[in-house]
Order: sequence, then C-alpha cells, then structure tokens
Amino acid sequence: MASVVKSAFRAIREKGVSNFLRELRDEGYLRCLPDGNLLQTKIHNIGAKLVGVDKFGNKYYEKLEGMQYGRHRWVEYAEKSRYNASQVPPEWHGWLHYITDHTGDEASPLLMLKPQRYGIEHKENFSGEGDEFIYHSKGHALNPGQRDWTRYQPWQPTK
Amino acid sequence: MLLGMKIKTDTPVAKKAREGVMEFLLMNHPLDCPICDQGGECDLQDQSMAFGSDRGRFTEMKRSVVDKNLGPLVKTVMTRCIQCTRCVRFATEVAGVQDLGMLGRGSGEEIGTYVEKVMTSELSGNVIDICPVGALTSKPFAFKARNWELKGTETIDVTDAVGSNIRIDSRGPEVMRILPRLNEDINEEWISDKTRFCYDGLKRQRLNDPMIRVADGRFKPVSWRDAFAVVAEVVHQVKPEEIVGVAGQLSDAESMIALKDFLNRLGSNNVWCERNGSHHDADLRSTYLMNTSIADLEKADVFLLIGTQPRVEAAMINARIRKTVRATNAKVGYIGPETNFNYDHQHLGTGPQTLIELAERRHPFSSALLNAKNPAIILGAGLFDRKDKDAIFFAVGTIAEYANAIRPDWNGYNVLLLSAAQAAALDLGLVPESENSIESAKFVYLMGADDVNLEKVPSDAFVVYQGHHGDQSVYRANVILPASAFSEKEGTYENTEGCTQQTLPAVPIVGDARDDWKIIRALSEVSGIQLPYDSLEAIRSRIRTVAPNLLHVDEREPATFPPSLKPKVTQKLSQDSFRTAVENFYMTDSITRASKIMAQCSALLLKK
Repeated sequence: MASVVKSAFRAIREKGVSNFLRELRDEGYLRCLPDGNLLQTKIHNIGAKLVGVDKFGNKYYEKLEGMQYGRHRWVEYAEKSRYNASQVPPEWHGWLHYITDHTGDEASPLLMLKPQRYGIEHKENFSGEGDEFIYHSKGHALNPGQRDWTRYQPWQPTK
Repeated sequence: MLLGMKIKTDTPVAKKAREGVMEFLLMNHPLDCPICDQGGECDLQDQSMAFGSDRGRFTEMKRSVVDKNLGPLVKTVMTRCIQCTRCVRFATEVAGVQDLGMLGRGSGEEIGTYVEKVMTSELSGNVIDICPVGALTSKPFAFKARNWELKGTETIDVTDAVGSNIRIDSRGPEVMRILPRLNEDINEEWISDKTRFCYDGLKRQRLNDPMIRVADGRFKPVSWRDAFAVVAEVVHQVKPEEIVGVAGQLSDAESMIALKDFLNRLGSNNVWCERNGSHHDADLRSTYLMNTSIADLEKADVFLLIGTQPRVEAAMINARIRKTVRATNAKVGYIGPETNFNYDHQHLGTGPQTLIELAERRHPFSSALLNAKNPAIILGAGLFDRKDKDAIFFAVGTIAEYANAIRPDWNGYNVLLLSAAQAAALDLGLVPESENSIESAKFVYLMGADDVNLEKVPSDAFVVYQGHHGDQSVYRANVILPASAFSEKEGTYENTEGCTQQTLPAVPIVGDARDDWKIIRALSEVSGIQLPYDSLEAIRSRIRTVAPNLLHVDEREPATFPPSLKPKVTQKLSQDSFRTAVENFYMTDSITRASKIMAQCSALLLKK
C-alpha cells in the first residue's frame, strides 16, 4: 500500500496536479469507487506484466507468480463504464482464454488465415445498447431506410 | 409380355429389385438435395421415397463431373446427372440442334456439348423441365425460391402470337418463374425461351404513376384526376379526324374494344393495332388466321413459307413444322431472306419474283405443290407492312387455288401473325379509316404501342401513352397513364389460329397503375362521353355484339369463308425482296426489351 501512495506522489511531482487528475479520470481510477469490479482489476494489475494493448486500447495483463493457474491472464477494458467480453477482438481472444500462448500482437498462424474477401472488422455485441446500434433487416419497422426499396424498378423519366 | 401372363408388382422380390435399381441410381448421385434447385420437384427424390431402400450401403467415393456452360439460361450441375439422356433426345428431336450428346463410357459417361459451346436453341429452356434431377436447372431462378413457396397461376403467354399455355409461379408480388402447361393443340408441353425467361422484364422499367409533361419538357408525377383532366381538355379541342389510336402488340381484347368505342364516340375511326399495317382488310377472318390450325400442320405434306421465319416469329409453330418434317419427310419451300432453319428446306427465292413464278407454275416447286395432298402455305405477317401486300395475297391465292389447298376437309391457307393482340384486333375491327391518318394527327392515343413509327407524328400533336413499360414511345408522350401487364390482369387474347384464351392475374398491379380498359372507361367519363360498361362482364357482352368468338374461351373458331371470296386485285407486285419481320428473337416487345436475361441472350446467342 505504501508503495502505491509513494508512486502516486511521484507521479504528481512529475506531471503536475492537473495532469495527474486527468490521468486519474482517463485510466478509470475514479470509476473504481462505484465499480468494485474495476477496482479489483486495478488492484490485480499491481505487479502484473502488461503483455499487450490491442487496437481498441484494451490492456492485457499476465502475472504468473502468486496467482492461481487459470486466473493468471486478464484484460482491463479500454471502455471503463460499459465494458463486456465481446469487446475483445478475436486475435486476443485465444490468448486471453488460454487457447494459445500467441498474443494478439504476434502474427500467429490463426491470424494469417483471416479471409480477405469476406472477413470483416471485429465489432462488439451491441445487444441492449439501444435500437440505433442494433441490426435491423431491411423490412424492419426500426430500420430508417425501410421504405427505399421496391419489388420492381420504376421507369425514371430522363427529360 | 404374353396373354394370360401374371405380373406381380407387390412381392418382396419386386420390392427388392426396385430397391436395387434405386441403389444403383443413387450410387453416384450427390446428397445435396438441401441446396439443389430441383428439391421438392425432383423425380429421383420421389422415386427414392417411393421405391428406395431406407439405408445406403455405399461407402466408396462418388464420382464427380465437370459442369458444362450451356449459356445464360441453363445452369448445369453435371455431378447430379443420372444419364437418362432425355435432354439429348429433346435437343436432337424437338429443338433440332445437335448440341448435346453423350460422351465416354462406363463410369466416365457424361452429358455434354462435344466441344465447349453454348446451347443455341430457342427452346433450350425446356431441358430444365425434362431433366428429372437437378443437373439442368434454370440459371435466372437459381437459389431464388423453393417450389413449395410459389403460387401457380394458369395463364397465357403474350410474347408471340402462339398463345402458349403457361403457369406463372409467383411469390408475393413477384413473378418468380414461368413454366409451360400441357396443351396438345397449341404448344404441346414446350415453351420458347422468350416466354420462359422474359419475366424479369416485368420488374424493370415499370410505369407506376400517371405523369404529365410540364412546360420545361420534364415529366411530373400527378394524380389520376389531374392526368385525366389534361387529356379530356385536349380531346375536345381537336377535330375528330385528327384523333388516332394505336393498340400495342400486348393489348387484350377488352381494352381494344374500349379504345375503339372511345375513339368512335369522339368521332374518329382511325384506330388500329400495331404490326397490322396501316390499312388491313379485316372483312374475311380467313385472310389473317392460321386456318389449318397449329395441330393440323402435322397433317401437311408440303409447306410453303412466304416471307416468314417461323423459328424467330413463332418458335412453337416452328417446332410443329419440324415435327412434321421429321415424321413424314414433308417438303418445305421458303421464300424470303436468308435465315436459319432447323430442318431440311428448299430456299426458293427472296422476293415476289419467285412468287410470280410459282403462281404461273414456272417454278420447279410448283409440281411439288400440285402433287401435294395437304399443302400448307404460310404467309408471314411481316408482309402486312408492304405496299403491294394485296398483290402478294392475290398471288398466294392463285397458288392455293391450283395446289387445291382450300377444300372442305383441308384449309392450307395460313397467315402467321407476329403478336398476341393482332388477331383479336382484326376480329374487333380495329382497322383505320384513312391510310395516312398518323401524319395529320393532333391527338394520338398509344395503348402500349411501342413499335409504331412515331417520326411521322407532327411535333404539335398531343400524345397519350398508356402502358406498363417505359420503353420507346413513352419518350414522345405528353401524358403517361400506367397500365397493368399481362401477368396482372384478366384479359382475352386470340392466338394466330383463332383460339381464344384468357390470362389470369398472378401478381398485384405495381404502383398506381390500373387495368387498360378501366383507364379508358374512366377517361371517357371525364371527357363527358361515358362508355356504357363498368365491369368485365359488361365489356364482354359488348364484345359479344362485335366478335362473339372472343367469348368462347379455349375454343378455336375457324373462319367461315375462304379467302378466295376477295375481289380480283390489279395492283402490281414490287421487285423488293421480303424482309425479316423479327430481327432479334429475344427482344420483340416492351417486356422482353426491359428484361436483363433477354439482353444477355441476345448479346451472347445472336453474336454473329
């Protein structure tokens, strides 16, 4: 505990109070007060090894000594308030779930297989996040472009 | 099998033998029914459900066959082929093209075109129907629908004058495919590729809103009320003799009689159907019908084709002639420009000169006609446009006379029409009063007429286009009234042999369009000269007074009087040789011209 306080004081000295407070907010330390889950992750992070950061900014940690096997890899989400497991992209998914020891940054054989023609960018699951995020088929009442298609193509006068 | 023999069909031995046959058939047949377009209407599926074993013993590898490219209409998955050779027989015997055949022996046996080429028949779509498995399926219909989702509507084809019996399969508001219906008197069990694959034209270039041309030359969508008001105002400003009406080649009898009644009430009788020529004599039905009837063409032993290319004008009639030629070695003589035939024929000449020689019995073919028992003379409706057509018809009448082609038991004098509306139009008397009425017209009413030459229409004339496709005439129109296509309305059509048939609506009308006769009826009311019918029954009882044969549906009404009753013609034959009436088999009317599939066909198959 003492080392945490000591490093906090050192950070204030180096960056100044305002920068320190901004960092405190950006890194989610303030969210730790209402969100015990995040607080626990932050406490876990002390002394752990930062293995990598993915393209969304999620941080992947590993700590081998003193941890129960199978709980030694975890992620701190970039999104501090509404995070969920689907924010982990597929290239890190394998490492995080102990499927492989290749991290997402390495060009693992799995990544080489990414199909060029139909492979699309990873997108998190937006279920429950509101109607505007959810996919609606083209005939759905909530699809804004629902009326822009017809079963036939009308003749367009050119002049 | 001998007299008194007992055949047992339900013993365990018979059952086992059937299972054995099915096992052999299924040995090399892939198990891809869930992704096969034939699924649900597959003969092999039915057979294996009825007679097959409930388990397979096959553990070896199945053979695979390379797919063939048969063109834009027929999709092939040749691994599914069970080598029944129905398609080979159809192509050689009915379609008359030697494109398909069997290659290899044993397990290497496969159906294919001997060299890599597409199937060049106008009947190629029929191999889709006769293939018992999913080896040959429809390319435009591939993966579009399952056959149990479709609603079938038994109706009539209007893309040529044959009136083939078809079934329109639709799903919701969309026509998904067109299949033939059995009618031994007309199309047997085949239809042409144009009939089968024109349906995607029904979804493209559709007129769906009434439009008027505003001051800056642009079209503006308006309500029906406003469009009628504009037309009704103009109608009363022009002189009666300056009013002209042209019915299109897809018009039904109901709308044509409405158009004629409407213009007659305005005081004009300048109304005709396109392709019937500007001044056709409709007094004798025998001068514009196929008097032999399509089915009886099989009894003919000598054919004389004058200015007609039946292969492109009426593919089903060509198939009938080919059937006769194959079965009885009937002779075929042809006068007209160089063209494609898929049976033996003699090209006698290209123009009226040969016709004169034949009429004066100077031509070698005259003896064939003289010795013929049942000669069939077929005139093309493309001749209707010629200035000297009366002289041509008179010369043909002379030939028919000495060949004894018109007898009480046989009438070999035939006219092969080009479009579905022609026969009914002439029956209803849609014949213009004056020959050059369109050149002095001030008000032109085009009811689906897209092939009429509009260059002669004066620039200050007011043109109303009523139709279902934005095709050719629509660009000259001042007012556009959207109408329904043949798949969307109930209408009466008469085919080239005089057989009356009716279409039934398969899909709903698109947009704000209306049936043709309803539009004219509504317009007549706005113009203050209300037509006295407002239901199909009422309009049909009006037809009864003009041409009662149009009410005898599915009956062929032969002409009563022979064409020889016509007065003697003194007109001189011109020296111009006959011209082809149909340049492109795949694109002849507004629907087929809007179709993408037909465009592909004409690009690929008519490549010179």
